[in-house]
Amino acid sequence: MMELYQERLLTHAKHPQGAGIVPRGTEDAEAIHPGCGDEIRVKLAWTSEGTLEALTHEMHGCAVSVAGASMAVDFLKGKTRKEIVATSSAFAARLGKTGFEEEWGDFRAFNGIERYPARIHCAGLVWKALEQALAQESEHHP
Amino acid sequence: MSGLEQTPGHGTFDPGALRRQFAILGREEAWLDNAATTQRPEAVLRAMDGFYRRHNANTRRSVHRLGAEATAAFEGARATVAAFLGAASPDEVVFTSGTTAGINLVASGLARWEIGPGDEVWITGLEHHSNWLPWQQVAQLMGATLKVIPLTPDGGLDVEAFRRGLAAHRTKWVAVAWVSNVLGTETAVREVCAAARAAGARVLVDGAQGVAHLPVDVQALGCDFFAFSGHKMYGPMGIGALWGRRHLLEQMQPSVFGGEMVARVEERTATWAEVPYRFEAGTPNAPGAVGLGAAIEWLQTLPAAAHAHEAALALAAAEKLKQLPGVTVWGGGGWRSLVSFSVEGIHPHDVAQVLDSRGLSIRAGHLCAQPLMRRLGVGAVARASFAPYNTPDEVQRLLNGVRAAQQVFT
Repeated sequence: MMELYQERLLTHAKHPQGAGIVPRGTEDAEAIHPGCGDEIRVKLAWTSEGTLEALTHEMHGCAVSVAGASMAVDFLKGKTRKEIVATSSAFAARLGKTGFEEEWGDFRAFNGIERYPARIHCAGLVWKALEQALAQESEHHP
Repeated sequence: MSGLEQTPGHGTFDPGALRRQFAILGREEAWLDNAATTQRPEAVLRAMDGFYRRHNANTRRSVHRLGAEATAAFEGARATVAAFLGAASPDEVVFTSGTTAGINLVASGLARWEIGPGDEVWITGLEHHSNWLPWQQVAQLMGATLKVIPLTPDGGLDVEAFRRGLAAHRTKWVAVAWVSNVLGTETAVREVCAAARAAGARVLVDGAQGVAHLPVDVQALGCDFFAFSGHKMYGPMGIGALWGRRHLLEQMQPSVFGGEMVARVEERTATWAEVPYRFEAGTPNAPGAVGLGAAIEWLQTLPAAAHAHEAALALAAAEKLKQLPGVTVWGGGGWRSLVSFSVEGIHPHDVAQVLDSRGLSIRAGHLCAQPLMRRLGVGAVARASFAPYNTPDEVQRLLNGVRAAQQVFT
């Protein structure tokens, strides 16, 4: 009945990776979707080698937003800032457009989301926050 | 759900015959998003179509016959709106693009000239952004203080707090919704209007959520201005009306300038046309006005039982949703057109998406009432809203759909 809420997506939505408390003011970035009021605050931890150690997010949003953030956690772990920026562009080129190939793993749950145009922004909300966090970082560490 | 059709004291009402007047309801979807926008009956569509097919011309500026016909249709619609509202005369009615435009016109065209530093502008805690932001902005611009009538625990207006807070000479403007677009209840609008006017303040009523459901009488409400939209009462989108007391309309400044709103234009100065034309610059939405007139006439053909029917649906939805485990219904009662609710552990968008997959259209989100959402302690809610063409079966499907959502997500 609901191709949007596949098992893969629901698993992430019910048990989101990286979900935690990111008190207001301590976040690296916040993204808000003004149309629906969904919001996410993210906190990034880096290894000394400059790869992502942990992505923690506090999300007030729907199952699609939560699942999208959860999927990003493991997918981005170990990537450098540069790689994350590139991944973000690649993600944007696929979401609601060409769809995700095998190597994108659980993000394939978003294939077909173009049939639910109102939900595309949900799936991408965490990436808005990530892009902002990295843009701010690069201002501080050019 | 048996027995819903038999509302004691209101007779029976068969939505089936009514539904046949709405081509779009032939689809399988149950339209439970009437508070966002209703559907339009054939009578409205025909009236708009007829304007373009038979009478189309620019109004109030042409000597030709079509121009006269278009003007007659447009001004006829104004008279219909005036009678519908209980206005003293048609020239107290300004056609606008909708409620938002009407409120903005009053805030920027009159209120901003009447308030200054130290003055107070009051709104209520349940206002839609369209009756919040114009006042927030005009208060900010003029150095006045925006004050908010608090809500009682059951979602009503704390009129006593308002009376205590009212300051003669300082309280200049009050803006209040007639019916909450979130809680669904009729506010204590008459008490607010009476208290405000007794203190020498002017009052605007946002009528958007009331006009389709309650008998309108601006004199009985006791307000100075009343704004509403056509599309929430079976009329077209992009048309609405603002009613104002004649002497106040005379004091209000136009905020949109251009064709047809002038008396005389010099190179460096100009004088304005009569009220209400000075507020209707440019070619007006004449087919919209004609459609709104037709919607009013259509609405007035509905029997009282039709309104009792929609109120019974809203009340049944509220009562039955409340009985579902994990479901919170917002508002303390008095649901007669809409009901907002939350389902524990499920975001309203997901509730709405599951319902959509089952052919039910409801609204989910902050409903353009973020301050109220924060007061309720939620980011968003789900809302089902009703019209006389809805059915008890659709209420049952709503309940089944919420249960199905609970199965998907828990």
